[in-house]
Amino acid sequence: MNKGNLDRVTFEAIEAYVLDRMSTVERTAFEQRLANDTALRAELELERENIHAVELGGLSSTLRTIASDLQATERAKGTGWGRFMAYAASIAVLLMVTIWWFGRPPINERLFADHFTREPGLPVTMGATDDPAFADAMVYYKEGLYAEAAARWMPLLEKEPTNDTLLFYTAMVDIVTDHGTSAVTKLNTVAQGTSIFQSRARWYLFLLFVERGGLAEARAMGLETDSVYGERVRHILSQLGE
Amino acid sequence: MERTTTLVTDTLPEWAAALCRNDTATLRALYKMHFPGVKQYVLQNSGTSDDAQDVFQEAISVLWLSVKEGRLVAGTDPGGFIYKVAKNKWLDVVRSAAHKHMKVVHDERSMDRPTDVSDDIEDRLVRLREVYAKLDDKCRTVLDRFYFERKDLAAIADEMGVEEESIRTIKYRCMMKLRAVRNVIRGEENEAS
Repeated sequence: MNKGNLDRVTFEAIEAYVLDRMSTVERTAFEQRLANDTALRAELELERENIHAVELGGLSSTLRTIASDLQATERAKGTGWGRFMAYAASIAVLLMVTIWWFGRPPINERLFADHFTREPGLPVTMGATDDPAFADAMVYYKEGLYAEAAARWMPLLEKEPTNDTLLFYTAMVDIVTDHGTSAVTKLNTVAQGTSIFQSRARWYLFLLFVERGGLAEARAMGLETDSVYGERVRHILSQLGE
Repeated sequence: MERTTTLVTDTLPEWAAALCRNDTATLRALYKMHFPGVKQYVLQNSGTSDDAQDVFQEAISVLWLSVKEGRLVAGTDPGGFIYKVAKNKWLDVVRSAAHKHMKVVHDERSMDRPTDVSDDIEDRLVRLREVYAKLDDKCRTVLDRFYFERKDLAAIADEMGVEEESIRTIKYRCMMKLRAVRNVIRGEENEAS
């Protein structure tokens, strides 16, 4: 490739080709030249990239303008309707608080809701299995797509019904999708094992028993003196008048 | 990789052909339609609204260059493409040293890069920006209007109050500056390799 300037005629011919501003006849002729001229092909690539560099500069500037415009539109919406909506929302919140107060769930369900935090899930790159189906399911789980996660985990669990990881995370899915009975069965299995999930399985079992009013079963877990969960367990039991 | 053919926009879906033309209305529509999803993801994962803007704009740039270079796989959904690229970009940010204090509980898998994005496309964006940064304001003004906005020389000359032939000369000289910059970069790369 010539290190000096490219002559203007060739430059503009390449430009017209890149910008699709040639007639069919011109294009065909130019492509014939390209086929036989390595230097011209190199110039074409260089000029195409330079045009892309310029266009990218324009694109970045345009995207910033669009972002700014959309933010301004959002702010404008917030000043008129926004104020009205704020008043309406205040009234709605007041009404909802009143309804909630008179219709709130029993204390055992509230305690469960206060203390239950869904397991965040395993980092997939460091997952317990190399099975891509497991990894996919874990991603769905983390995204809150529980039906998709369960659909992928359940066939794996059928193949490995004692797998602690699968039992534990499918139990999590059961809990968040209101299938507590199934979760109790799975967590009982994990709690009786020695895996890294055992301690957490016992805590979730305790919470499930509390939620379902099974205070005797909850107490029988013996978690009051647990180094991790003891304080929370004692607090919950005291709230229940135990 | 050598790409010696010009993209034939007739075979592209309408939105992609419009991106090829740098159509601002299409960019605006893509932004309006797909930014909220990206913003929600970034906000849920320790980011700010500005962070979301940054990764979204980078993702749309990746989509744009993929279309320009004819690397888009047929049937690509622009929304899905943008979301995946933006999500990967944000995970890269979160995993970076500056953000190691952040608690990331969301999606630690080695993300599936969109299959229609070439691995080097983000590096190419960086290189193209480096080249553009070498231009002075006068060159940027003329070249942006001609190549990005696709205005003709007469319109640009009218806007800037000069003769059309002057604009044509400025455009040629500015592009030769870029060409010289590229030749220097290529020389440095060849020496390094």
